[in-house]
Amino acid sequence: MAYPYRHESETRILSRGFGDPAARTVAGWKAMGGYEGIARALEIGREATIEEVKASGLRGRGGAGFPTGLKWSFMPKDARRPHYLLCNADESEPGTFKDREIIRWTPHQLIEGCLVGSYAIGAAHCYVYLRGEFFESTRVLARALEEAYEEGLVGTDVMGSGVDIDITLHVGAGAYICGEETGLMSSLEGRRGEPRVKPPFPAAVGAFGMPSTINNVETLAATPHILRHGGEWYRQWGTEKSPGTKLFCVSGHVRKPGNYEFPLGFPMMELIEDVCGGIPNGRALKAVIPGGSSVPIMSAEDCRECSLCYEGVEAAGSMLGCASVIVMDETTDIVKQVRRMAHFYAHESCGQCTPCREGTAWATRILRRIENGRGTEDDLDTLVEISEQMTGTTICVLSDSLAMPIVSSIEKFRDDYLALIRRGERVGAA
Amino acid sequence: MSDARFRNPGWAGNTGEFDLTEADVRGSEFVGEQPLDGGHPSVAPSLPYMLVKKDPEAPLFEGPYLERFEKIRSRYPMARAALIPALNLAQELRGHVSPETMDEVAALLGLSDAFVRGVATFYTMYNKRPVGRFLIQVCTNISCNIRGADEVLAAFLEHTGTELGETSSDGDFTIAEAECLAGCGFPTCVQINSRYFEDVSAKDVPAVLERLKREVNDGF
Repeated sequence: MAYPYRHESETRILSRGFGDPAARTVAGWKAMGGYEGIARALEIGREATIEEVKASGLRGRGGAGFPTGLKWSFMPKDARRPHYLLCNADESEPGTFKDREIIRWTPHQLIEGCLVGSYAIGAAHCYVYLRGEFFESTRVLARALEEAYEEGLVGTDVMGSGVDIDITLHVGAGAYICGEETGLMSSLEGRRGEPRVKPPFPAAVGAFGMPSTINNVETLAATPHILRHGGEWYRQWGTEKSPGTKLFCVSGHVRKPGNYEFPLGFPMMELIEDVCGGIPNGRALKAVIPGGSSVPIMSAEDCRECSLCYEGVEAAGSMLGCASVIVMDETTDIVKQVRRMAHFYAHESCGQCTPCREGTAWATRILRRIENGRGTEDDLDTLVEISEQMTGTTICVLSDSLAMPIVSSIEKFRDDYLALIRRGERVGAA
Repeated sequence: MSDARFRNPGWAGNTGEFDLTEADVRGSEFVGEQPLDGGHPSVAPSLPYMLVKKDPEAPLFEGPYLERFEKIRSRYPMARAALIPALNLAQELRGHVSPETMDEVAALLGLSDAFVRGVATFYTMYNKRPVGRFLIQVCTNISCNIRGADEVLAAFLEHTGTELGETSSDGDFTIAEAECLAGCGFPTCVQINSRYFEDVSAKDVPAVLERLKREVNDGF
């Protein structure tokens, strides 16, 4: 079997080249229909390219799910000032490992997506902001980009069209917050990766003060396919509100973790039990985090009828986010894991906003106290209260991202917290 | 289906049920040698900056590194945007970014010392002090954690005889905890300098360390 795991029921659009080293070259990518999407875009023109992506209903794959075509249409139509496309390849949401897979197996898929996006918004320069830790995948992308320049696919006069599009790989230095779109812009400009207040939105004042659009790797990678086959073709998969296919990153307690591509709306339990081979050692499912660590935790009961699309996961009380399904079996210590998440957010808080800087640190200390058997029931109320104050009160949503797992875990796994608290009380009494 | 542990070829070439080689997975043959001058300007800001070889006294910047620095500067509409790539390049050469290095970079880009220090200290990948030949960063975030990352971290500390964040007495290893490395599919994910080692369990740790020592002896 080629690495990584595959399943015969997958719908492989984005992941077709995963595990195939030949797909890394221009020739290999072209043999799979590569660079036909950008060719069609250049033929039909900017407006029609945006319309095609709008027709596909593609929604941003970075977590927010904003319609991509609509986002592109916000860019000013005049070309008096330079426009920039920023590709967010700062993948660092805990549980998410899809963008790295696209970059290291199918670098030209991303390069072609950057060309389509740049062309659509009238950008002559695209910056790919790569996570610093991705040294190896970045080198694969870099070699592929050099090859694309050599072949006249990128740079001056792209494919003989008279359009100039440069792409630059920019490597970060380790900060989760640079995955937030305005934090990413700050970092690209050589500053601390501190998010900015919106408005102004990036389409008006973005990178280097110029109109900019930021798209996730997976979003951009989907656009060449949409251009090549048409927006309607893309809608054959998924639901009305969540069209197309999506990479589901499954990690945790399953036999075959990995990236699996399915139409949106795929049943969660089928993904866990059939595709990923179920939970090992005959254990029962305890909880799932469906969209990366920044979304509410789901109990096993919540998962039963859940379908993996934006509206389906929302109906089950959580969010699809970037579809990073973290599976936890009955042996999982929920309090410890929530504390670990809190530690992460406290570490990654940029420190600009008080509710986040203080709230994430307080929450971490309280959770650690409970974990160590020194908590009280009042601590749970305090955690909920702090979480409320961390929601909707800051520039970006980093503190909201911690509030959600804390509140949902207390709601759904209160007994786990109480067991630790009561054990502590007994220890204290003795 | 058996519960036997699978192996992916991400680290030791043990392909188990998968039939790709480690080089296939890493793309190392496709990538080839990395040019010191950075290659095409579009990719000049993207070279790895955590290497075995480091020279804390290396000049900023000379020869092919100066060429690379100029290529980097040509890719941004404002001078300040070259700061992070320049700090990366400084760490690639020197192995860490000291306050003096920060000041030198500030002078090169015409920025104030205070501004550059503020930026450099914001980012976790800049080593503020010297580290060992290999900086071993073990992910202990949620997906790896529920699959035993704490034990893997403990095993690295035990087998190198060092404390978290400290460097072993032979100067080979510095062990640190890392946040999610986006390698959640094959836990535990460990970043060692510029490479990922995936699917590492506590019992694999001695073999990983032996391999690294062998690479140093082979002049890697």
